[in-house]
Amino acid sequence: MTVNPKKMRPYDQPPKRRRRLIPDGPDSAATGFLVAAALWLAIATGIGALALALRMVTFEISYPLGVFDLSFELDQRRVDAAFVNATVFGWLSNAGFAAVAFMAPRLTGRRIVAEKLLNVGMAIWNLSLAGGIAALYVFDLGANAPLTAMPWLIDGGLATGALVVTGVFLATGGVALASGYISLWFAGIALLGLLGMTSLSAGLGLFETFFGLEQLPVALASIFIERAIVVMWLLGMTYAILHYVVPRAAGGPLASGGLALLTWLTWLVLAPASALGVLLDSSVPFFVTSAGAVATMLLLLPASLAAVNLSLTMSGRWSLLFGTGTAAFAAVAIAFLLATSLLEAIGSLRAVHVAVGVTDWELGVFLWAAYGTFTMAALAFADHATPRVLRRSWGGSALAGAQLWLTFGGATIAGLALMFGGMAEGALRSQGVAPDAIREGVIVYRAFGLLGFGMVALTGLALLGSLFFTYTSGEPADYAVPGQPAAAAAGH
Amino acid sequence: MTVHTPIETRSGGIPRWALALTAFVLLVGGVYLASNLTGENPPFAMPGATHAPPTNGDPDPAVGEALVAQAGCAACHGADLGGQGAAFPTLLELESGPISENLEDLAAEHPDDWVALWIDGTTPETEGIDRAGMPAFGTQYSPEQIDAMVAYLRGL
Repeated sequence: MTVNPKKMRPYDQPPKRRRRLIPDGPDSAATGFLVAAALWLAIATGIGALALALRMVTFEISYPLGVFDLSFELDQRRVDAAFVNATVFGWLSNAGFAAVAFMAPRLTGRRIVAEKLLNVGMAIWNLSLAGGIAALYVFDLGANAPLTAMPWLIDGGLATGALVVTGVFLATGGVALASGYISLWFAGIALLGLLGMTSLSAGLGLFETFFGLEQLPVALASIFIERAIVVMWLLGMTYAILHYVVPRAAGGPLASGGLALLTWLTWLVLAPASALGVLLDSSVPFFVTSAGAVATMLLLLPASLAAVNLSLTMSGRWSLLFGTGTAAFAAVAIAFLLATSLLEAIGSLRAVHVAVGVTDWELGVFLWAAYGTFTMAALAFADHATPRVLRRSWGGSALAGAQLWLTFGGATIAGLALMFGGMAEGALRSQGVAPDAIREGVIVYRAFGLLGFGMVALTGLALLGSLFFTYTSGEPADYAVPGQPAAAAAGH
Repeated sequence: MTVHTPIETRSGGIPRWALALTAFVLLVGGVYLASNLTGENPPFAMPGATHAPPTNGDPDPAVGEALVAQAGCAACHGADLGGQGAAFPTLLELESGPISENLEDLAAEHPDDWVALWIDGTTPETEGIDRAGMPAFGTQYSPEQIDAMVAYLRGL
């Protein structure tokens, strides 16, 4: 029998689902942040590949926009700044926010307070960032470090977004802080650090615009803010994520709460102090930068404590490390965390800084930190959270394997190549070799750097593919919804 | 199927070995800091520095003198900067023109700022010139600081 659709009566049709303009369902914010993070990962790695290519082929564009004497400028410094911002504020920060929105309700057993507001915060953050990255190609960057090079109005947008996420987090998880969930403690301090630094950046830009400031204090404040964002926000969220996902991947509790507490305490003291180490100028007292350098070296301590604790947690479940699941991502993140902490400690020695400062060495260490440590932790979180927020299970181990091996292999190759290139550059510079000859001397290292980073760039596509196929092809799975009675009973 | 995941728990106190390790590492750090309390930081490497003219007045030779001492020019050019053989020419005669053959073209094309360009060494003007061991200080010092060095050296 054929059905004439015109004859269908209202009760024959499936009920219409009213979609809200701003979603407010459970996990809608975590899902939104996760998708935004994956998009930014693809964008950031694309810009990063361009930044590395520009180190091999000098190329600049200046194109008048026809309004207010503004022009589109594309050069090495602007592309570098766009890469760092897209990586830190785009990919890693959205992944961090997603982790906050995912962990807080599950650890507290209650729904996120004002999920809709959190989604608004996500829109503010990402629209500001997109505008800010476009502005990097138009406005003068001044004496700012990459993370503070966007206009102050944009920094204000980022600070507003961070304020919303921090406020919602404290309103949701504040009551549970006393219960000692270490991931919430890490996340809380990390969020406060991000909020403080983005607010400081916006305030500095505002003050500079209206009252004028000398270049040197702006440059020093800016590089301090940048370093603080990395060690407070990114490193803090990495610890939060690893302490959350590793016990769940291993299927047992965290090995030692005391060790986790000691990790948190040492990181809390040393991370802000380490930001002082970058204030290398003759106007800054020597003991201040020495204290910062020592704190940077000592950051190896919380990294080691966390590595021991998480390894003990994995004890007996080592076979998980040979798969492509959350545990494997987390294990690689921990390995990179130790390696990067060691490299940062070595790099903070004054003799090393003189030898390899302002060379590709710094970019190599940044790549290991951003695309080794922080990215692997974020991918571990994405692997754990994707089926839970979408409530679908998809056996796409090929795409998970691609994320793991492309990022691991690519970041290792790119980081090593650039660090060796930086050492060669420093050696040639100290011998008085001309800049063009130095460029020719390190081009092989840069080519390997570009090759490695090209592999990392494919990770963004693999993550997007994983999210897409889990949503479209995954089988419905009955993961507990946070904040509902079943969730508490299931120990979610 | 409901997927069960364990709750993060806080169990036990801080292990003694961890406390001992932390105390030891902090002690080593404290000793290292105590031995590095005095000294002077290098000048800040300004991001995106270019050879723009100084914005805050004329270059100060006194600042330049301190920077020349800090940059270690005397290590090659002699304690009095009077040169050490042909490889390390004198810096006391900059006013009278190029101090070595490889700088003649640069000095002819940029008679006013060839010294600053040579010390900097990172700009296109000095590309292709054999630096013969002379470091490119533009990677460590700002244009204003290099101009201060030149002001001092030209006054010798």
